[in-house]
Amino acid sequence: MTERDQDRDTGAAPLFGAYDFPFRYESDPLSLAIEEDGGFLRYSRRCCGTTVRKILGTRQGRAVISPVEPINLPQEVTPYLEVRFTPVACEPDSVQTLYLTFPVEIGVFLEARGSYDVLDIFTLTSPKYSLYGTPVEGIITRYHESDVFPGIPEIDLVREGVLSLTIRNSSRGWVEVSRVVMDCSGFVLFCGDMVSLSARMEILSRDLADVRIGDQPLCEGMFPATLLARARMRFIPETLPFMMEYGVGS
Amino acid sequence: MVAWDSVIYGSITLLDLIIFFFSVIVVLVIAKIVALYLKRSLSDRIDRDELDKLIKLVQIAIVGIGIWLALPSFDFDVGQLVVIGGTGALIIAFASQKIVGNLGSGMFLLVERPVKIGDSISIGTTTGTVHQIRVLSTIIKTFEGVYVRIPNETIFNSEITNFAVNPARRFEYRVSIAYGADSGAALTAIRELLAQHPFVLKSPGPSVYVDNLADSGVEIIVRIWAPSRVWWSVRTEMLEKIKELLDGMGIEIPFPQRVITFAGPRSGGEIHAEDDR
Repeated sequence: MTERDQDRDTGAAPLFGAYDFPFRYESDPLSLAIEEDGGFLRYSRRCCGTTVRKILGTRQGRAVISPVEPINLPQEVTPYLEVRFTPVACEPDSVQTLYLTFPVEIGVFLEARGSYDVLDIFTLTSPKYSLYGTPVEGIITRYHESDVFPGIPEIDLVREGVLSLTIRNSSRGWVEVSRVVMDCSGFVLFCGDMVSLSARMEILSRDLADVRIGDQPLCEGMFPATLLARARMRFIPETLPFMMEYGVGS
Repeated sequence: MVAWDSVIYGSITLLDLIIFFFSVIVVLVIAKIVALYLKRSLSDRIDRDELDKLIKLVQIAIVGIGIWLALPSFDFDVGQLVVIGGTGALIIAFASQKIVGNLGSGMFLLVERPVKIGDSISIGTTTGTVHQIRVLSTIIKTFEGVYVRIPNETIFNSEITNFAVNPARRFEYRVSIAYGADSGAALTAIRELLAQHPFVLKSPGPSVYVDNLADSGVEIIVRIWAPSRVWWSVRTEMLEKIKELLDGMGIEIPFPQRVITFAGPRSGGEIHAEDDR
């Protein structure tokens, strides 16, 4: 394995970072390499029973491995992420912060002269999708179940990230919250010693809540991981609140 | 020798006419080049449907402005032209009611948007994917890859089934297992298999239950909700996986069969026969 640079875009978490060609990363269950073979640079990735092989048409540049929004696998069908958790009872006019987990997908990018291309996206988790709302008017969501933590939890960095969710109950009654739905197109993941995301939920009634994605990292020294948006030349829209119209509980 | 200044109509000379047509051709070429440039530079940034609309809008604007700029070569009173054009349009409309009907239907389709490009739909006997929505007609590419052009008026007056407009849709299988098989184990195994598939929706969850004790076997119903965009691939994939699962568990999917018992004793005693139906 060659020298591994720390990259401002990806932070310094294990696996995540920039790699000069050729390189090899081995950590069960993942094996990932770009190596010279038969006159070509060849990319290979093995994990969770699948193998991907590609030939690189370049010898310039480097590879960057970075966390990406968890909505790409097995194929992109929705921009929304839904996290379900143990119900939390919120009293009227209260504010509380919970720590949850969310799934992480891993992007392998090729970088040359400031331009990025997606080489591969994979995950060490099992993706699952769900429907938030009704089959007629609802939305498809990437589904994830999480425990609720009072502080930043210890997690497997390459499988999950930490979501800090601040809940404000602006309604007149007690409300039980057991899910949050977010629009990933306005996401900025932060990467460092962990992958993080912060969101604020304002409960307006039992069936209605505003969810806003924060633009600040959980800890100092974390950097925004925006390579997928850059590679696909997508603008990250100004974060608009997502209105949860089909309830915040079961 | 050609008299360039010979008058053709009113104050319009041959030269005016040539300049006008040359201008229109130049404008069309410019519109084509701009469309190509937009397609090349924006194809990976904007949704294809939106990009097509944007390109058409830009092309119409370029051609419109070009014609507007070319008209003074005729020394035309534009106000007069509008009146003449309006009258002409009325005459053409009466002369070609079908075309106007299709045009109007096309406009309503664009406003109401019962179908979008890429939607899987069924109109009358045609089922396929919407390939293009034009001013007068809509192009459907059937699942067999056949090109079908349907006039917009027909679409507007027909019952349209859009398979993709709702975010999720349900489908079901009927799986029959032998009476001797452990139906409880089969139900549990099928539920576990469905839970592993990403696009078998968590909510509404799948339902798997014994529906009927049929002549030849125990009928299990498997109902699955999947995102509309991928439901067909999930449907085909899961049926095969359920078959493989039951095969792996040694659970037989029985052939239709009937046990026949003869009432009276015959030589050689009672005969039981099992036949494939």
